[in-house]
Amino acid sequence: MELFYNNKKNLIFLIIAIVLFVVNLINIIFFTPMIVDQHWAQKIFYVHVPSAWVGFVGYLIVMISGFMLFIKNDNRWDDVALASAEIGTFFMALVLITGPVWAKPIWGTPWIWEPRLTTTLILFLYYMGYFMFRSFGGNIERVRRQAAALGIIAFINVPIIFLSVQFWEPEIQSHPQVEMASQPPEILYSFLFSLTIFSILFAVMLQYRVHLIRTKNLLKSNV
Amino acid sequence: MELRSKQIILSMLFFGLAIILIFAFSSNVAKVILSNYAPGMFWLMNLFIVVLGAHRSFAYEKEFDAFSILISSPVDRGIIFIAKWISGFLFITITQLVIFIPFFKLLLLDIPLETFLFISTALLINLAIMAVANLVSGIVIRSNFSEILLPLLLFPLLSPLIIAATKISKSIINLESFAIWNVWVLIVASVVVIFGLAGYALFDHIVEE
Repeated sequence: MELFYNNKKNLIFLIIAIVLFVVNLINIIFFTPMIVDQHWAQKIFYVHVPSAWVGFVGYLIVMISGFMLFIKNDNRWDDVALASAEIGTFFMALVLITGPVWAKPIWGTPWIWEPRLTTTLILFLYYMGYFMFRSFGGNIERVRRQAAALGIIAFINVPIIFLSVQFWEPEIQSHPQVEMASQPPEILYSFLFSLTIFSILFAVMLQYRVHLIRTKNLLKSNV
Repeated sequence: MELRSKQIILSMLFFGLAIILIFAFSSNVAKVILSNYAPGMFWLMNLFIVVLGAHRSFAYEKEFDAFSILISSPVDRGIIFIAKWISGFLFITITQLVIFIPFFKLLLLDIPLETFLFISTALLINLAIMAVANLVSGIVIRSNFSEILLPLLLFPLLSPLIIAATKISKSIINLESFAIWNVWVLIVASVVVIFGLAGYALFDHIVEE
């Protein structure tokens, strides 16, 4: 099987993603404006929100791949689901790290049972179980289908988790409701740029991981 | 056939009583403080009972390879899911009814004045919990370490239900108006519908050999 970077398109895609990511980091650190009452903590916003976005996109892809596996009966969708679950969980972990880092100076406490953070934590824990299931599930063909079902039920549960946490303790739901349209252009454009870069990075990572999983499966089947 | 599995009900029942005992020893606090935690403790106890019951229900069929025979029967597999869902619901409800009075009496708490309402809402909550538990149990049962994987996958999925169940029971104990807690009933009902349909549609795929 061809190495991932031997393919010129993949290599160019990767280099563009890395360069844009570095530009994004430089822009966040040096060029985005400081908010008076938040100082450096506010800069986490440019990483925290895009991480949450790609994390949820990752889990959405797991669900779509699950449906596709059932419809098309094609195991390649399981490779996409697994890769997307791994990358989605990586970004969810980033959300769970950056959230408390931002919350400590702003709220005075690293953790509040806020709906978005709580939903992220619940999904993160669930996906830890998902990976364990994939490791200990037994028969590989059966595990593929069952993991697809787990991916589907995880995502359809997201709105229920979110709503229940939101109604749970309304008085502690103090997450800032950022009206993006009313933000100054320097913040708005930097945020949208970061969101785009994280999405591109996710796409590169997904492509690479799917390639690795398929190579590994091919090697296993040849042994 | 499910009703013949007396051991499942008995094990759930005595497990529940053992949990009450542990609660009583570990929460030696004033009655007024304990009564605040009572709804949460009641549903926590039920959650443990559900894990035990859901696991045993499928494990019996796994041990005697009855599951393979069951799924090879000429019946829509979605119907098998519904049958197991209803039997699981009956198991947990029977256990809950037996354990209801000992729970409040052994913890020296007052039995809720609106007992009928408390039990009626518990029925809906049980239906929702068993829809999720039955689906997850059907998925993990043939894996290695299924006894660990079941709670690991089930608890995060059940977290909205546990919040809703605690809120509903607390509101009923405190004699609050339905208008305050009706949103939680809607959340529980939506879980029943969503996971009932998901289970019916997906069960065919997850049990396929």
